[in-house]
Amino acid sequence: MLRSLTRSVVVLLATVLAMPIYAQEGHPLKGSWIGVWESNKDAGDDIIMVLNWDGKAVSGIINPGTDNMKIGSATLDPNGWKVHIEADGKSKQGAALHYVIDGTIKDLELPARFITGTWQSQTGKGKFEVRRQ
Amino acid sequence: MARNRRNWCVVAGAATAAFFIGSNVAWAHHEIAAKFDSSKSVDLKGIVTYVDWRNPHAHVFVNVKTGNEVLNWAIELESPTILEMDGWTSSTLRPGDAITVKGPRARDGSRQVWGGDQVRFTETGLQVFPAKLHPSRAAAASRPAPRGPDGHPALSGLTPAAEGYWTDPSKTSMVEDGVDVKSDEWGLLADLTDAGKVAPMQPWALGVYRHRQERQLRDDPMYLKCKPPGGPRQYESRLGIQFVEDRPHQRIFVLMGSGNHNYRIIYMGQDRKTGLVTGDDDNPLYFGRSSGKWDGDTLVVDTIGFNEDFWFTNGGLPHTSQLHLVERFTRPDFDTLRYQVLVDDPGAYTRNWTASWTMNWKSGSVPFYFCQNNRP
Repeated sequence: MLRSLTRSVVVLLATVLAMPIYAQEGHPLKGSWIGVWESNKDAGDDIIMVLNWDGKAVSGIINPGTDNMKIGSATLDPNGWKVHIEADGKSKQGAALHYVIDGTIKDLELPARFITGTWQSQTGKGKFEVRRQ
Repeated sequence: MARNRRNWCVVAGAATAAFFIGSNVAWAHHEIAAKFDSSKSVDLKGIVTYVDWRNPHAHVFVNVKTGNEVLNWAIELESPTILEMDGWTSSTLRPGDAITVKGPRARDGSRQVWGGDQVRFTETGLQVFPAKLHPSRAAAASRPAPRGPDGHPALSGLTPAAEGYWTDPSKTSMVEDGVDVKSDEWGLLADLTDAGKVAPMQPWALGVYRHRQERQLRDDPMYLKCKPPGGPRQYESRLGIQFVEDRPHQRIFVLMGSGNHNYRIIYMGQDRKTGLVTGDDDNPLYFGRSSGKWDGDTLVVDTIGFNEDFWFTNGGLPHTSQLHLVERFTRPDFDTLRYQVLVDDPGAYTRNWTASWTMNWKSGSVPFYFCQNNRP
């Protein structure tokens, strides 16, 4: 049991240390973000967001791949670095889901800054936390 | 006896230096205000125990009698490269010398003081390290700018014997032309409420700029990570820049004394190059992709293709990968280089804006300074 736990910790640490974190001194939301939206029974706990800034609006995608969700709107309020993201996805049964994420950017000055807050949809809600890669 | 005392000083000083150097990252290059608090000035009088003459900052260690004990303090100075430009060497101060220092103390409360130009010999009161980021400009007799074989003003010396570089920028941080905002040599605003006047920033950019300023610029990737001084920043350092005009190949090299002794290439009369050296859309660069042409006696350089991994000016003004610069270089006389830059970055600014300053000619080659020499 202890050996298994130790092995898990080592693998986790190795994974974290191996992740490249690219410097990004431009728009604070631009980049790839990886983390969790806890208790999401439809999409799973893990989340990847890829965000871009074109000078006027933030656009992006959640979980790029077969179950990707296009971000419909995303805003950043520099007063408190509040983030608001809305995206449309599907439940496991194929029903339309509308996700709303509200959070705050922490460690703004770091390439590995993170967003912490909450997510909610018609079927659930929970803690949201992603870190920039 | 005196020799024994000096040897003891050296050993004690070296041990103290080793302790300081090994203890934390405070020795890495940094903005002065990020490490030292100008509101907490200290006066020290003591005996030099060790001189650590290394980039990015020289340090002088001093034993200071405090009550019944003797405490060792570290006096931080400008980089040896800058100090040597002012004529000082590693042996200007030696163990055993009595000095006085007045300067701001380290924010973390450790026994470190920014010496700046306030280190004096106790006996004579003479200044030891008059490091000046902005030396006064001597009024030089105006000489005409030399011209190259193509008739345009030469930005470099035309022969190896006449080589020189451009230094002593009249401004070391970018503020929109016509705006009067006070800042220190590193671009730290005297009054943070002036942040919105510096340039026409979008709200997010102003927020980022204010955040960097509030943190006394301590996150500057040029200092923390040796990122190159891309964009106009390469012209904001006293370490200077040197033009090497390669006329047969229609290109101009700009060699930098700061950063990692980087260089950029301006391609003359050609479209922007792509590829490993000059970059392409998938490989945005710290210095972008530049093409130049002469407009009368002015070299006009158009640059795009920047990455977002650096600060493009002292003081931390943000930019995005949409940054497009139009730089204009004019040499109105032998000793003056006029620099103007137009910033076109719709990702970070609400409109185009310009900033300009001048630099002075200095004979010789651009000084060597390598950020990689940062410690630890």
